[in-house]
Amino acid sequence: MWRPCGVFDATYEKDMAIFRTPRHWSALALALLVFFLLPVFGSYYIVSFLNYLAISVIVVLGLQIVSGYCGQISFGQAAFMAVGGYTSAVLTQKFGLSFWVALPLAGIFTGFYGLIGGAPSLRIKGFYLAVATIAIHFVTMWLLLHLEITGKSVGITVDSPVIGTFVFDTDERMFYIIMPVMIIMTYAARNLVRTRVGRAFVAVRDNDLAAQVMGINLYYYKLLAFFISCFYAGIAGSLWAHLTLVCHPEQFTLIHALWFIGMLIVGGMGSIPGVFFGVIFVRVLDELVLVFSPYLADWFPWLGMAPAAGLGMTAFGLVLAWFLIKEPRGLAHRWEILKASSRLYPFAY
Amino acid sequence: MTNFLQLLFLGLLEGGLYAMVAAAVVLVYKSTHVVSLAHGQLMAYGALAFWFALTVLKLPLILAIVMALICLAAAGWLVERIAMRPLIGQPLFAAFLTTFALFLMGDGIFQLILKGESNSFAKYLPGGMTTIMGVRLPTTQLISFGVCLLLFLGLAIFFQRTKVGLGMRATAEDHQLAQSTGITVRAIFSWIWVLSAMVATIAGIALANVMDIYFPLPMVGVKGLIVALVGGLESLPGALIAGLLLGVLENISAGYLDPLVGGGVKEVAAYVLLLFILLVKPYGLFGLVRIERI
Repeated sequence: MWRPCGVFDATYEKDMAIFRTPRHWSALALALLVFFLLPVFGSYYIVSFLNYLAISVIVVLGLQIVSGYCGQISFGQAAFMAVGGYTSAVLTQKFGLSFWVALPLAGIFTGFYGLIGGAPSLRIKGFYLAVATIAIHFVTMWLLLHLEITGKSVGITVDSPVIGTFVFDTDERMFYIIMPVMIIMTYAARNLVRTRVGRAFVAVRDNDLAAQVMGINLYYYKLLAFFISCFYAGIAGSLWAHLTLVCHPEQFTLIHALWFIGMLIVGGMGSIPGVFFGVIFVRVLDELVLVFSPYLADWFPWLGMAPAAGLGMTAFGLVLAWFLIKEPRGLAHRWEILKASSRLYPFAY
Repeated sequence: MTNFLQLLFLGLLEGGLYAMVAAAVVLVYKSTHVVSLAHGQLMAYGALAFWFALTVLKLPLILAIVMALICLAAAGWLVERIAMRPLIGQPLFAAFLTTFALFLMGDGIFQLILKGESNSFAKYLPGGMTTIMGVRLPTTQLISFGVCLLLFLGLAIFFQRTKVGLGMRATAEDHQLAQSTGITVRAIFSWIWVLSAMVATIAGIALANVMDIYFPLPMVGVKGLIVALVGGLESLPGALIAGLLLGVLENISAGYLDPLVGGGVKEVAAYVLLLFILLVKPYGLFGLVRIERI
């Protein structure tokens, strides 16, 4: 790992630290402070956008673990998110549990549900598995639309979380639930990928047969990757349900799953900071299209009255194709290059 | 019994359409080893070009079909040239994900062109019903089914009898070996995309007879991919058989199970079949079983 000149690790703990210099720590503290004061000073628009970003980050972190690290491309992430949201909604609305119990339970239930998604992964891989997860998406959505307990096509309305008498009923208040959860999840993911489990995932991704020969239990680790990724999706789904106060199949379509994959590609596969780059880049792009599309519609009348959805999709597809052809390692790779060159400045190497 | 026959025939007719979409996917996979999600879009644009030629330019039927074929052949060539060729030598998954990016892009443009409307050209085509064994079936669908069978026959002849077809089969076997026997693999790649885009166009025109041109049309491409996987990605006969199987299964399961579970069986039958087939035969019904080495 690269580090500034003059920083030496005397102990194992120091060697393993993510934040290694006082400057790192003060930057972290400052960033957290600004972040948590944001709802006080920032506008409603920024806060709700950040909530949306944070939930996407949690989902894509899960996807990063199963696809970026373990190499099993999953198009089912939106469906797993739906399972998490619905579990949380059913537990709080039908069984009267509190949100604080329902949140982890939703994650765990989705994790076990995801084992169904991971089950075919021993026999099939590559595109076969990717298409199998599309199948799992549609079957899940069909179940949600037709089961009595999930409210069929009406969906479920959800209440806001409460502590005592304090109700988290606005975006600013939900911010204080979503952000800590996101930070904890990021921390967990960042550490997970450098443990024994994370290294096993990478070995499975690079060559699963070779990994098996080295004594890695393929089925166990593939299923574990699916479990963890679905746990992330479930938590995100639960937060999403309690933020929008409704659970409906329309919120979790295949297009959503495709967007998550796209964020992963733009950010860079196999990198936790990449998740943040990807999510922010794609969401900001989408937001820009949303802001500018009325002007475009004025200037170019042939685009029609409401070109936002179509334009957003076109821009996203273009960006994605460009990244895949020209920058297959994503923004995270650019970031590493930038870091290395800024450290060496003004020398080339 | 009539009910069963009705479902069976409707299923076969629909299955023929799926088989055509799957054929386009199989063509590309056989030669380039790229699984393409983009064919749903090529199909939708084929239908769109046909609709444009028929209703806006007011061309006669045959000319409209020819124009759609030419437009889409150009589109297929462009896709190969711009998006696929730079990825030769990259991991195959990158190519798969690029077709997926093309799918998204195509979907966006498709929505921009349609502006939320649905275009139907049913009234420009011969209507009416034909009765076979006491079952009334729409004539246009029967014609499409005939076209589908002809298409598969044509493809079979093309691969068995022509020089380009032989080159494509050799390329499918091994790119480097094909190159060393004097086949221009790059040209074959271009040809295969042109050919598969044209097959997709025919499928799109046939499909748009049944369902109008509106935004879910490209999603049938996903179904085509599923048919291709069920039949085995390398096998054209597999695509035909799996397509027919899927169409019949969808219609019969929808006909008999819908009253029991409250509708919508048709949408998931394909996916349940796929999961089942992949668990039993991971490479599809007629696919080549790959033996992997480290």
